Amino acid sequence: MKKISILIPALMLMMFWSCSREKFVVPGEASKSVDGTWKIVKALRNGTDLTSRFDFSHFSITFKDSSYSIDSLVPFAVEKNGTYRLDDPQYPFRMYIKQQDSSEKPIDIQYPFTDGVRSIVISFSPGCTSNTYQYTLQKIN
Amino acid sequence: MPSVIKYIKAKPWLKVAVVLLLIVIVIVGCSITIDSIDQPDSVNGGDTFNTTLHVTISTNTSADNRKFMVAVLVPKMWNTAKNATITFTSDITTGVQKMSLIPAGTAAPQGSGRDWPTLITDVIGNGGNLLPGWEWVAFYSDAAYSVGGNVEFGVTVNISVKVSQDNVSFKLGYVVANNSDGLSDPQYYASAFPGCFRVFGTGDLTDFCNPQLSSTDPLNALDNDILTLGFDGGIIDNALQDASDVYLCLKGVTDDGDTLDVCRQDSTTLLTQYSIKKWRIDIWPRSILNVPEGKRLESLLYYFTDKTGTIKVGKTGDDSTPFTYTFKCQ
Repeated sequence: MKKISILIPALMLMMFWSCSREKFVVPGEASKSVDGTWKIVKALRNGTDLTSRFDFSHFSITFKDSSYSIDSLVPFAVEKNGTYRLDDPQYPFRMYIKQQDSSEKPIDIQYPFTDGVRSIVISFSPGCTSNTYQYTLQKIN
Repeated sequence: MPSVIKYIKAKPWLKVAVVLLLIVIVIVGCSITIDSIDQPDSVNGGDTFNTTLHVTISTNTSADNRKFMVAVLVPKMWNTAKNATITFTSDITTGVQKMSLIPAGTAAPQGSGRDWPTLITDVIGNGGNLLPGWEWVAFYSDAAYSVGGNVEFGVTVNISVKVSQDNVSFKLGYVVANNSDGLSDPQYYASAFPGCFRVFGTGDLTDFCNPQLSSTDPLNALDNDILTLGFDGGIIDNALQDASDVYLCLKGVTDDGDTLDVCRQDSTTLLTQYSIKKWRIDIWPRSILNVPEGKRLESLLYYFTDKTGTIKVGKTGDDSTPFTYTFKCQ
């Protein structure tokens, strides 16, 4: 009994010494890459869903490094190929697109990750500014 | 009736119940009504029209710090948020009381986070206007007021709205309420829709009041928008009212006076039926008319046809006059 009464405090002391300060590092937000070819999966005009009413299947846009190329048979924010940049690579809310022979144009974007799929939601007005279009793009695998 | 009173008198518990019921009615009872409206039937494009609402408010309990709310239903093209002035006078205030626009997105009382335009649309509607392009614009009194209990007083609301140059027929609407009860119960608000109001402006008539053989959405667009052209074959007698397929025959006029046509009957011009005798097609005008780079479309002239292209229906239900659409922004 006397041996046990000495052994237990000794074990507790050893357990206490075995503790060490854990280094906790907050992981940084990864930069978002939009590289790849994207197609339209949903299209709204002033909130009205046009996805099944208009043929959006002929649209695609490919981002690579700081350039993009567009193949579009639908109204879009730009009509020609050019360059782009994000306002914040980690938390992008705006894409600046500069098509050939034109000045840089800001476009509001969202970059949601839903149902395991990354999307880009782009809002723009190709005609009257009172008419707002919102395209949801997903990457072509 | 005397027998009913006699019966109630004979039952003490029933007397108590009747008294309680009367108390409840007195406490809960409250009302606001729009008794009459003075409004012109029409106005010329670009002019200002004045409407007067004669409102009666009855209260049963006193209330403090209440703001008066007035909302108007108008075409978006009027930009009423910037082009309207609303004031009122009342039996319990002195002098003209000013009102100010309630910024969009401001939560309405007891509206589950909805702002006034959204709440009014959900609860009261759009007055039966048949086209998109309408909006509710809401105003609060600049001052807040204390109102005594069991009082009835009149309020005279003066609304002044400058209209755009557009040629429009529209069903105006009005709502009055307060900043505490919102639209939580019909006793706390009143609405009125005095009928069709006409603006004799310029351009094609945009008729919100009457069903149209052909409608367009959006009302304002450029040739780089996606434009929906609708055909309601049941409005008037026409050669396509029982058609099984309807096609679009389209002519575009460019800014240099050139004309571009597409009048074929294939999948690119085929309308989709979405209801009984109702059809629509969504087009990208620049694409379907193959508009050359550097040119832009100013207007469209169009008919609806059958599969052979020989039967054409235009504005008057026959092939004598095409439908027209002018590209413009607000």
